[in-house]
Amino acid sequence: MMVSSNLSRRSFGSSRDFDLINHTVLLIIELLRSFTWRHSSTHSRSSLFFVRCVIVMDRKVISCGRNRTNETRNATRHAEIEAIDVLLDQWKEIKLSQAEVSKMFTNCYLYVTCEPCIMCATALSFLGIKEVYYGCANDKFGGCGSILSLHKSDKTSCEEVGGKSYKCTGGIMAEEAVSLFRNFYELGNPNAPKPHRPIQQP
Amino acid sequence: MDKFKDNESWEIIHIPDKLPFPPHQQPTVNVYAAVIDPKHANTIVRKLNKILPLENLRHVKRVRKQHLDGGSTHLSVILCLAGENDSQLDIIPQEVAELIDFYQLKTSITKVCRYAPLSKEEWVEQCKLWPTSFHPPTYNINGITGFSEEESHSVFTFMKLALNLAKSERQMVNAAVIVDPSTNEVIARACDQVYSCSCPINHEVTKTHDNMLLNSSATEEPKLLYDGVSCLNPWGWSNQKSCDSWHPLRHAAIVAIEDSATRDRNLFPGGRHDLADIDHVQPALTYPSSKKQKTKSMHVNDYEELDPHTNDCDPVSSRPYLCTGYDIYLIWEPCAMCAMALVHQRIKRIFYAFSNLKAGALGSVHRLQGEKSLNHHYAVFKVLLPQESLNRGVKTE
Repeated sequence: MMVSSNLSRRSFGSSRDFDLINHTVLLIIELLRSFTWRHSSTHSRSSLFFVRCVIVMDRKVISCGRNRTNETRNATRHAEIEAIDVLLDQWKEIKLSQAEVSKMFTNCYLYVTCEPCIMCATALSFLGIKEVYYGCANDKFGGCGSILSLHKSDKTSCEEVGGKSYKCTGGIMAEEAVSLFRNFYELGNPNAPKPHRPIQQP
Repeated sequence: MDKFKDNESWEIIHIPDKLPFPPHQQPTVNVYAAVIDPKHANTIVRKLNKILPLENLRHVKRVRKQHLDGGSTHLSVILCLAGENDSQLDIIPQEVAELIDFYQLKTSITKVCRYAPLSKEEWVEQCKLWPTSFHPPTYNINGITGFSEEESHSVFTFMKLALNLAKSERQMVNAAVIVDPSTNEVIARACDQVYSCSCPINHEVTKTHDNMLLNSSATEEPKLLYDGVSCLNPWGWSNQKSCDSWHPLRHAAIVAIEDSATRDRNLFPGGRHDLADIDHVQPALTYPSSKKQKTKSMHVNDYEELDPHTNDCDPVSSRPYLCTGYDIYLIWEPCAMCAMALVHQRIKRIFYAFSNLKAGALGSVHRLQGEKSLNHHYAVFKVLLPQESLNRGVKTE
């Protein structure tokens, strides 16, 4: 698999960073592709998911999540939230305190196919995540620069209540991410009361 | 005085999509206008609308008709936008300039209001500058233009329910109640679960809470006392002592959404349109081509015509789509995470009692109800509790 050309060495600090990103992005895309192909054969829309995210710490993938909004009927169960909950469960199981968990998040990198929405971008700030990398921008809901910039906590309001900022880099393998979403949306959403797009039947 | 019956001291205020401007101080833009001969009006307006429609000023009427003292009328037309400084003509587009030459128009700069009027009052003021059109809010959400006595009563009842929930916790927290206003049924209720303790609550605490709430106002909130309110102090979770169970993101609204989703799954097991079942007997799908999609769309028209609102009385098909049509009551204005979660879950109206000046996303720091790009918009109301609305009454007198 080729790494898209807009992932240039120049945009990242060190070659270590580059390796990390390179490795992780390849992994995400691999996960996505294998999953897409496997499930498109049965074409069960509810189990098709294309927003997928992984959380990396010390160059290891420590959690991943996928969008589970349809199956849970809870529209807040985005991939990021799912991946965060996996970590919280793990860390609470080994009895880490709030302060220790907070410290852990400051070493976490999150990779996601699409720019986090306003809800997820805010949640990531509350947790104090270190960095976020995403594929394509989200010009309808994006909370990391497209609609609001919640990754930058604003001095006037947030700082008094301990607001945290994180570094956010978009446009990583954006073309691949966009084509994944396009395939997804072409199938239509059978759960919407009035689908915008016709629902594909095989 | 029985404050629970005294609805007059409660008040519901609509929090609009945009920060409202005082009617006589609305922002304006400069435009080039010219007086035209009524004989040419039709032609000129048609040409102008074709070559230069006023895309961002759709609320502004292209032509102004003025009645002069002598009984004659005066027609003026907006030609194009003008710069904010007085550098004449340099930005008039070529085609408009040709029109000006052809009809020998004398241009002048005039001001029109930049934004469409939100109220009749604003509209009246706007028309003094240049006529605009006023369309009451396009989304038809009850309450924006006022509440009936019965509706107000329900609103107060559910806000009291939320207040009691918040007060029942050991520490002051936010509370959320999701309600189906068509039946007045409570769909879900929850408190913040960022730090939950199962320790018993004593009565003194509840009393203190009562006083705190009644004396609090949007401007003077004693900070320490509200540290446990997750939307007010969303970054503070890591400084708290360990409790039985905790979760940095389990704010009241998020928990209430989760509860409503659980209720939905329990009451309506099985898919909404169970495509998965059909799918298994169908041949495998490879990559969909757009041509294929077109032919297939013929079969799916049935789905598109399925309007959930026409089936409301039928219990089988009355399964809600997320929280469509539901209201939520919160003690404090939600943070951006909760406010966006409520967009995702398709809540119809949000009622909150206190503003969240440092992290609120419905008017204080952000104003999600006015973010046009979002795929869903709710109406937002602030409910003033008796004490606060009484204070307000005194201040305004």
